[in-house]
Amino acid sequence: MTTREFDGIQLERVREFVWEIPREGDMRVPARVLASEALLEEIGEDRTLQQLKNAAHLPGIAGHAICMPDGHQGYGFPVGGVGATDTETGCISPGSVGYDINCGVRMMKTNLVYDDIRGHEEELVEALFANVPSGLGGGGVVDGDRATVEAVLERGVDWALEAGWAVEDDLEHCEDEGYRPDADPSAVSQKAKDRGKNQLGSLGSGNHFLEVQRVTDVYRDDVADAYGLEPDQVVVLIHCGSRGLGHQTCTDYLRKIEKRHGDLLAQLPDKELAAAPAGSELADQYYGAMCACINFAWVNRQVIMHRVRQVFERVFDRSWESMEMQLLYDVAHNIAKKEVHRVDGEERELYVHRKGATRAFPAGHPEVPAAYRDVGQPIIIPGSMGAGSYVLRGGEASMDLTFGSTAHGAGRLMSRTQAKNEFWGETVQDELREGDHVYVKAQSGATVAEEAPGVYKDVDEVVRVSDALGIGDRVARTYPVCNIKG
Amino acid sequence: MTYELRPHTADVAVAATGADLGETFAAVADGLAAATCDDIPETGERFSLSVRAEGLEALLFDYLDRLIYERDVRGVLPVANEATVREDDGEWVVEASARGVPFADVTARDVKAVTYSEMRIEEREKPRSPGDGESGLSRATGEAGADRTEPGDGRPEADDGGWEAYVVLDV
Repeated sequence: MTTREFDGIQLERVREFVWEIPREGDMRVPARVLASEALLEEIGEDRTLQQLKNAAHLPGIAGHAICMPDGHQGYGFPVGGVGATDTETGCISPGSVGYDINCGVRMMKTNLVYDDIRGHEEELVEALFANVPSGLGGGGVVDGDRATVEAVLERGVDWALEAGWAVEDDLEHCEDEGYRPDADPSAVSQKAKDRGKNQLGSLGSGNHFLEVQRVTDVYRDDVADAYGLEPDQVVVLIHCGSRGLGHQTCTDYLRKIEKRHGDLLAQLPDKELAAAPAGSELADQYYGAMCACINFAWVNRQVIMHRVRQVFERVFDRSWESMEMQLLYDVAHNIAKKEVHRVDGEERELYVHRKGATRAFPAGHPEVPAAYRDVGQPIIIPGSMGAGSYVLRGGEASMDLTFGSTAHGAGRLMSRTQAKNEFWGETVQDELREGDHVYVKAQSGATVAEEAPGVYKDVDEVVRVSDALGIGDRVARTYPVCNIKG
Repeated sequence: MTYELRPHTADVAVAATGADLGETFAAVADGLAAATCDDIPETGERFSLSVRAEGLEALLFDYLDRLIYERDVRGVLPVANEATVREDDGEWVVEASARGVPFADVTARDVKAVTYSEMRIEEREKPRSPGDGESGLSRATGEAGADRTEPGDGRPEADDGGWEAYVVLDV
């Protein structure tokens, strides 16, 4: 048997791209890493594997604690982590969802081709930067008040439809039609609502961005047809989350759970994994609050997307409808959802924690929107500014291997502090523009340096592993044209 | 008081030291500001806040969380932090103030949240100075300016007793 060891943690090769850390100590299940040799080398460099072992201590965790091919060290639960816990005998863990609840990605299609926007890149990037708030304190597209926040938390994208920020077609192409019925706005604190009301329709900063892209490759013609993607087509990718409202909600429940369920916390190796026992008052409250934050994040991305339509109208002097600017899909990266999965031959309802991981349901699954049920759920994998992104579809093996999940991006390789030492933002911008025809505009050069292409893993390799395992199959590849970030 | 921004694959860590708990807390808070903004101007009015928690780690967590909340709600970046920390009837209390630099005056990045991951607050080996009381009551002056240094592998450079803290911030 092939084995590898990193900092005393031994992994056994189960089969190609599947590595297992055997159960030991108080781990409740073994842990698995889905990676090529090259990706495993990178994953083994920081504390990812120890954090994955720690995640395997969560009460009621089923199957394995799993690290996706883009996994890296986070706080508590690793980024790229999937952990499914029983909704009756297990727990729910806010830190294992992450602070940015429903951080995610959506892709909007257009009927424009690359030649239609060449020569307009500078104007487009400036107009997008001026009209889509980013960074700290930039406000939001919507000037929200208390009633607006309550309605968004309660109704999700249906609020945006009524307010003129969406059309019916947008709802039909969003997970859960942009609405979590389990949302309980009363479980979201006033502090969280205070932080969110001025941030509705804003990117934030860090790795969040908005990118105009062109489709460069199509790998599965039938699925690409069903998705409405073809070579040279212009698309728009939006990556952001639930902003301060979601961050505060995670913080609030982490502290509440720490105070009330200290006995459970004492069994866990990392305080950031703090979990509420299934069936407890706090588990139910957190689930309701988290679902409300999911609604908020969907509306955040929806409002930004609709603002992008308006920007395109101005830049290209045509209606957005005539440019067929339609939502392809919206995927969540940081989320815990009640889902039914088969574990050891038995169907169980589980809280599937995906922290930096994407749901990847295959063709035929009843929770895939009707528009895509015959081909599988679209998955959007954003890459770096220099490497492009991918569209995948949920693979047949995902339900058996990963609780219906795959990777969420390229995965960071280098710390932000090191990135700022190694890259200079203005140089990165110049090189991307001169060498690759990618136009970048950011609030600061430091942000560009922190997000330079060199700080990320090889997204091609991440997607190769996902495709080979059959958890998320390659459909198309896109390459950036314009990028704005906070 | 000193702080350093330390490497972390996805996020940013702050390692801070201080002669006492108050200085150490304020140094971490200045690290939070540095993780948000590279160049801090001299503008803004001071504001005060008070936080109470059941333990020291919880207090540091809640203090930084409160600063992030005040940042978003007031629309200012809290800098030049001052803090005193005391024990009170089995709980811990931080009385603090900061200068709130208006967002319009800075180019700043968002720090989403404070985390408990790898958090440490420890008293350093050398005995504290005679001036420090048993209660941990202390005072720090943030306006004196923190010493921002480049990331290192070891502990913060100063090693003259006092306290040290390590916090990972979600960015």
